[in-house]
Amino acid sequence: MIDLRNISYQYENGEEVLNNFNLALKPGDKIGLVGPNGSGKTTLFKIIMGLLTPKQGEVIIFDQKREKEEDFVEVRERVGFLFQDSDDLLFCPTVEEDLAFGPLNLGKSKEEAKRIVNETLDIIGMKGFEKKVSHRLSGGQKRMIAFGAVLAMQPEVLLLDEPFSGLDEEAVEKMVDILNNTDKSYLVVSHNEDLIDKVTNKLYYMNE
Amino acid sequence: MMHISEGVLSAPVLLTGAAATAAGTAIALKKIDNEDIPQVGIVSAALFVGNLIHIPIGPTSIHLVLNAIAGILLGWKAFPAFLVAFLLQSILFQFGGLTALGVNVFMVALPAVVCHYLFKVLIKKGESSKWLGISGFICGAVAISLTVILLMFSLIFTHDSFYEMARMILAGNLVLVIIEALLTGFCLVFLRKVKPELFIDLQVEGGGLKGSERV
Amino acid sequence: MIDLNQGFAQGSSWVHQLDPRVKIMTIFLLAVILAVGESIIMLLQALAFTTYLVLAAKLELKKVLKRLVVVNFFILGIWVFVPATYPGDALMQVGPLSISTAGVIYATKITLRSNAIMLGIIALLSTSTVSSLMQAMRWLYVPEKIVYLFFFVYRYVHVIWKEFNRLYDSMLMRGFKAETNLHCYKSYAYLIGMLLVRSYERSTRVYEAMLCRGFRGEFHNLDDLSFSNQDLKIFSGILVFISWIIILERGVFLI
Repeated sequence: MIDLRNISYQYENGEEVLNNFNLALKPGDKIGLVGPNGSGKTTLFKIIMGLLTPKQGEVIIFDQKREKEEDFVEVRERVGFLFQDSDDLLFCPTVEEDLAFGPLNLGKSKEEAKRIVNETLDIIGMKGFEKKVSHRLSGGQKRMIAFGAVLAMQPEVLLLDEPFSGLDEEAVEKMVDILNNTDKSYLVVSHNEDLIDKVTNKLYYMNE
Repeated sequence: MMHISEGVLSAPVLLTGAAATAAGTAIALKKIDNEDIPQVGIVSAALFVGNLIHIPIGPTSIHLVLNAIAGILLGWKAFPAFLVAFLLQSILFQFGGLTALGVNVFMVALPAVVCHYLFKVLIKKGESSKWLGISGFICGAVAISLTVILLMFSLIFTHDSFYEMARMILAGNLVLVIIEALLTGFCLVFLRKVKPELFIDLQVEGGGLKGSERV
Repeated sequence: MIDLNQGFAQGSSWVHQLDPRVKIMTIFLLAVILAVGESIIMLLQALAFTTYLVLAAKLELKKVLKRLVVVNFFILGIWVFVPATYPGDALMQVGPLSISTAGVIYATKITLRSNAIMLGIIALLSTSTVSSLMQAMRWLYVPEKIVYLFFFVYRYVHVIWKEFNRLYDSMLMRGFKAETNLHCYKSYAYLIGMLLVRSYERSTRVYEAMLCRGFRGEFHNLDDLSFSNQDLKIFSGILVFISWIIILERGVFLI
């Protein structure tokens, strides 16, 4: 589904993070990315989403080579990316609007969007939060809603950047449970190795 | 803070202010695409927070206006930025009110736009950090002075009897002119060191802030 | 002192439940009439009306008074200067200054106007959530870009305010003191600069997150404003009152 070949990336200041990096995600793959800070894990996700352009290498997603901005429109509709900071992802006043933002962009009707909002809240175990104000939730709740906002797009692949950060024990269990029961493929970055082991079936080690 | 309260100004002054702000905002909205809204909005939010910070002078403290920095970074977009920020302040803390909104926005946004162009002229004259700081100082001083002058005008045009009060306001704000000028200078030097992209964007785009990093 | 959390918006009085479109239209009409109105009788009745709205909204009166005190600082300045410099017959003599009757009336009008509008804003706008006001603004044909700008500013003011507090606390932890000197002003300039940098970077990430969720330059909304029977009754009542104060105001000119 995702095939990265010989990817290298350089920041504007000249610092290199990825060097001839290869990665393949096939249906059913649940891959954990492990590595120190600054090894380019988030950069990798941004390259997949077309937010950053690699210096060299090929990005092949859903069997198509992706190079230009237009190529990534489809990628963004089919791949869900959970950002590290929930406040970057949740920008609407209410939870309901935040969850409906993606589906409405995909051309769903208001009724369909509302149905998706309800289903999503059910999946993440946060029913009754529809009218709550996103920014006033606790860090863990924001994390869960941000995850919901990604799921609401009904993506085929998930990219999860530190999904467990800020979650309490119960929410961590919920998240692990959701990930273990989904048939979606995903890439997950986390510093918590125990949790990574619980939710993945492959590991990639990245070094600086 | 540099706000005139509700109910003070006369109808012609209020109307003029509202019309001028509407015109400035209309010009700015043409320069803003939906894609730019997050950026202009979030930078405005930072200015809003900057406005709430107390800066000590002697035994008391004052609030900053920061319109020079707003103008340098946002250009014409300073109009909608201040419009929205002041509207929010009036809903949240009743600063400034509604009918005086046009005048209050115009008083700070016009000097902001003036500074935007002034800064562009100044910055061509030198590369050094020292010169950047001096340019910032000049812009900060010009912006607040203009704001205070506009404030005086709006009072005096309302009624002659405001003359004495306007003079006191002018005197009282001389300190603010110096503090804002200093802060603007330091702040610009800081911004160029830490985030030079802000200035690259500025030089590429006539209207100020527009993400060139964007894909 | 900073209450970004819209304390007044929480409540269940009929004022809170009133349709935000009715609230915006009412405060707009009231503010315009009051701002140009000259009749003291009209201003007094309008003040009574907005005071009634504040009471009906069952807001914490102590907080409301605090807000009014801040607003009235400027008005206080007017009382200090205007009556003494306003032309007209002297009401009394204070030292070398003669206080004119017309000046006192003028300052009284300003005080009434200002407080009446402020109370109206507290009762009608501060009791609505920002998101409901946004929906109403959109319905009332406020340009879409302004509405969304408003929305981003409101949303991120909270985030940036927290960021400011974290930065400021860490300055204090490192022995920073707010004093009147160059070092202090420089530190404040860096603090504001840092807030701008972080906000700029955050805006880039927020935009990226929007792109990742299929944003293509168009905003969609899920609004569901509904105009109830109660709203209709209250709005009619308000319109009657507004007509009444217009009559009062015009009456002054007729006499």
